[in-house]
Amino acid sequence: MSTKKSVILAFLIALGIIFQLIESFFPVVMIVPGYKIGIANIVGLFALYAYGPKELTIVCMGRIFLAALLQGTLFSVPFVLSLTGGIFSLIAMVIGFRSNVFSIYGVSVLGACFHNIGQVIAITILYQQFFMQLFLPILLALSIVAGLCIALLSTQILKRMKGRFV
Amino acid sequence: MRNRYVMTKADRILIICVMMLSLAMIVLIVLFPSNASSAVVKVKNKEVLRINLAEDGQYEVDGTLGAVHIEVQDGAVRVDQENSPHHYCSKQGFVDSPNTPIVCLPNETVITIEGDQDGEDVQIQ
Repeated sequence: MSTKKSVILAFLIALGIIFQLIESFFPVVMIVPGYKIGIANIVGLFALYAYGPKELTIVCMGRIFLAALLQGTLFSVPFVLSLTGGIFSLIAMVIGFRSNVFSIYGVSVLGACFHNIGQVIAITILYQQFFMQLFLPILLALSIVAGLCIALLSTQILKRMKGRFV
Repeated sequence: MRNRYVMTKADRILIICVMMLSLAMIVLIVLFPSNASSAVVKVKNKEVLRINLAEDGQYEVDGTLGAVHIEVQDGAVRVDQENSPHHYCSKQGFVDSPNTPIVCLPNETVITIEGDQDGEDVQIQ
């Protein structure tokens, strides 16, 4: 990995942490408890489309660990939820990217859906309660919208950044 | 190389599939409601209070971050006052459906309404 690339990846992680922290200050109108758009996934999509799956993994995992460290939730329940969602969406996005049939929109929607599915599974296992599954349909429907918005934003950013330093 | 920034057919199929899936789940949940009669309050997954919804009243349980005030009115239950960063559960307001729990994760408190016919519930897998 060249120095330039590692610096850019570090910048992406830092940006992702800032998105995540700022987003947690402004909860979206509450339809489902804890629902967020996931603006931080912009950096993940950026890393995936500018570099590749390996860089997506670095940015995604780095963001989750460092953001948890900054929020003081490292290795606690919110961190486990975040990590499970992150790993699920990571795997879904890499598979969607590699399968070569989806565009950035499909990959983003896949990531958003599997993030929710992962979190619901984690909550079910951690709390041994099944009520969260009742939120899953609403979460899935909302994640389509969120995924499309994030993909649209990422496309615009990628187009503007092309040829500058990526 | 194929343009990766233009929506493909597979994208549309995926989005429609997810929509169908969530609609099917919502229909399943709406089609099988059960009669509400009592509200169960759990703190840290242990049942601490069982409230009869036929009687109006106010109750209080000890959550992780302090007291959680619960109010029952006209067969519906709500969290009146509680201590948490975002107050999601008190903002949720009155709930009268067994399929809508009131969840206060910071207080580790969950209020669910249980049906009369031994909790006919929806399973989503």
